[in-house]
Amino acid sequence: MGVLFLSLRRARGLYGSLLFSASFQLCAAPVTFNTALPVSRGEGVVRVQVKYLSATTDPGDMNRALTVKALPLVAAWGATSRWTLFGIMPLYDKTMKHDMPSGRRKRSVKGLGDVTTMVRYTAYSQDQPGRTFRIAPFAGIEMPTGKENEQDMFGQLPGALQLGAGAWNPLVGIVTTAQSLKQEWGFSASYKFNNEANNFEHGDEARLELSYHQRVWVRVPADSSSLPHFLYVGVESNWVWQSENQNNGQQNPDSGGATFYLAPTLQYITHRTVADIALQLPVVQNLNGNALEQDFIFTLSLRLNY
Amino acid sequence: MKKLILLTVINLLWSTTLFAAGTQYNLRVDGLSCPFCAYGIEKKLIKTEGVASVTFDLEKGLIKVKVGEGVILTEAQLKRLVDDAGFTLRSMSKQFL
Repeated sequence: MGVLFLSLRRARGLYGSLLFSASFQLCAAPVTFNTALPVSRGEGVVRVQVKYLSATTDPGDMNRALTVKALPLVAAWGATSRWTLFGIMPLYDKTMKHDMPSGRRKRSVKGLGDVTTMVRYTAYSQDQPGRTFRIAPFAGIEMPTGKENEQDMFGQLPGALQLGAGAWNPLVGIVTTAQSLKQEWGFSASYKFNNEANNFEHGDEARLELSYHQRVWVRVPADSSSLPHFLYVGVESNWVWQSENQNNGQQNPDSGGATFYLAPTLQYITHRTVADIALQLPVVQNLNGNALEQDFIFTLSLRLNY
Repeated sequence: MKKLILLTVINLLWSTTLFAAGTQYNLRVDGLSCPFCAYGIEKKLIKTEGVASVTFDLEKGLIKVKVGEGVILTEAQLKRLVDDAGFTLRSMSKQFL
């Protein structure tokens, strides 16, 4: 029991860095992070994402395997031409398998995760014919809407398998976008301050992200609006660092670390919809202790103007 | 009598053409770099009373707005509309159709 208790406590930390956030981007923009492109005053955009994360490389001896299926629903509304409000509601289906002396054990949970609200302000914009450059800081808060005390037949689930963190976690960041009709560059830096709840605190999280998209195909539809359809290919990189988790005020040495992802992307844009796909590959994982390493994150999404 | 009927028909046709004709506003808008974002402007223009059609030339940053006879859009109105969509109205011109 002591071993089990220890393993679950460690697991709570080991999976902390595996929590991936929904991206808020709206226009022809990075697939895996935010954008500074505008949302019209009084108009809205919704985004439905399907994400699949696999983490099966266990440096420890428990042969752990984690899969997370997530369905983040994102809504954005232009309060003014410069202020945009966001709401992100993630639905999760998490499963963890690991070896125990009694055999292979499977634990899983499904349900609503922590909802995030966010506001973005376009602080600087420079528009030219067919191109724009924007800088937009953003801030938000992750609310404890997901259950953090889910149990199964083996007892309470470890922290990483819980649907929510149980804490109010603020985040701040800045995003820049340089876009022309043929190319787009994006950069984002953000930091999330994770707070303690139920004697557990996920480590704070910092992200640096960069993207490049190149238009490769144009289709001019026959309808009267004359707005063309664009196909982009791109590459995105995400550097994600997380500090060590804390259990009862003690740092967990098997948690936190840094991961660098590269992601090829494909994006099809019309005037009403954006469909995109990305495969994030963790090319460098410098994790602490026996933290579980990731295999990939797959993202499929659809955005709708309404 | 035939001449009178012919003149009446011609007059009617001329009037119909005149009334059907409207105005086209050519807007030079900066920052239009993707069709998804441009739709924000299209929606606002289409909702504007009297607007008959909106067409885009993204490469030139040009929006052509056709309105019905007697409909007048002011520069201030169009500037506010473009601003609200998050873009920059560089210039506008007006041509009678």
